[in-house]
Amino acid sequence: MKHDDPKLIDALAAEFVLGTLGGRARRRFERWRSREWHVERRVQAWEERLAGLALRLTPMRPSPHVWANIEKRIGATAGPGTRSTRSAPAAQPRTSMWRPLALAAVIVVVLVGGYVAWNVTQRLQLHTEAMIADAKAPTPAWRVEANRDVSRLRLVALGGAAPQAGKSFELWALPDNGGAPVSLGLMPDTGRLDRDLTEAQRLALRGASKIAVSLEPQGGSKTGLPTGPVLFVADRIKSA
Amino acid sequence: MAPKAPSSAAGQSVGTSPESEADDAELTRLIAACAARNSQALRQLYDRTAPQLLACMVRILKRRALAEEALQDVFVSIWQRAAQFESRRGRPRAWLMSIARYRAIDVLRAERAELYREAEVEQLPQLVTEGGSDWSGAGRSAAALSRCFELLTADQRRGIELAFVEGASHADIARATRQPLGTVKSWIRRGLASLRQCLER
Repeated sequence: MKHDDPKLIDALAAEFVLGTLGGRARRRFERWRSREWHVERRVQAWEERLAGLALRLTPMRPSPHVWANIEKRIGATAGPGTRSTRSAPAAQPRTSMWRPLALAAVIVVVLVGGYVAWNVTQRLQLHTEAMIADAKAPTPAWRVEANRDVSRLRLVALGGAAPQAGKSFELWALPDNGGAPVSLGLMPDTGRLDRDLTEAQRLALRGASKIAVSLEPQGGSKTGLPTGPVLFVADRIKSA
Repeated sequence: MAPKAPSSAAGQSVGTSPESEADDAELTRLIAACAARNSQALRQLYDRTAPQLLACMVRILKRRALAEEALQDVFVSIWQRAAQFESRRGRPRAWLMSIARYRAIDVLRAERAELYREAEVEQLPQLVTEGGSDWSGAGRSAAALSRCFELLTADQRRGIELAFVEGASHADIARATRQPLGTVKSWIRRGLASLRQCLER
């Protein structure tokens, strides 16, 4: 599988650090790096290998307003452990009374915010649902990723299925109870496609251990059921 | 309780040489203190590293005002991400430098068109020895790198240096060296591969 090739990951990491990985590839790699520890490790190795190149530059002293703005932006004067050397030392009992309360409020906000963010990340975090591949082909056709409750899919074309003029590839959930296949929408011919599933699609996918891709008229099956040949059937990868 | 800041906090000189063990240890301590929300530590980190980060950003962005604005983002980002540094256990200067370089590159790519219309280019920070082999002062990262850099072809070296130091894209390098894009891409790819091989030995 292309994305597990350590050589490729390392080459991408090197060009990311160098800055020559640009545009959308850069954004994509950035997300990948923040998700995958092994990718991050390679980035770090390159950062450390190349740092010496820039450390050779003669230092330049920033203008005084730069720090003033940073201080403003991090709200430094209100933080604990701050010993401001420039602000007036006059004691202000009225404010200091409120300080512990304000600090407590900030802590609550940070904790709640952190929990919400964690929760959202957990919900949005994608895992690989299935690899759709022809066993004889050198490259897989698509990778199907989903978030935890499978309400969101990411379909990544990997090049193993040649697009056909006037035709579309359509993804189906094959219910374990033997019910009719349920369409999960069209597959991208190239690149990547994110899709939110309807509740009906989501339940169908949860009740299916296999998914399939069929070849349909452009725009997808008109009948709601596969009409063309079923080209691929894949097992969903069981996640814990 | 020492209200007087140590002399290095005056911001002029860095005190210890970059990437010496003492420097690494001190920066690591300051970053950890930032993670614990000690803004005084951020100030000290700023005094020790901002001049170097700014040099690197001005070199990429070619305009001091723009670089100084981006430098603010960098330190806000360091403040926010200080806790992440602990888990990676890397060299602090390389980490800080990367945050600064990525920010500068993002700004460069976003403002490229405008930047290139500007005729005046301010005094840019120079490499200690431009294109030369003097790497002194560049710290531990440089020791092995300089040796391996010598093994590259002149084209590979130039390409990598343009990209890293100037923030040049493949297309910029192709333009600067009057070579086809594909050639430039392969210089860089091969150059990086040889560097890696050499550094791992």
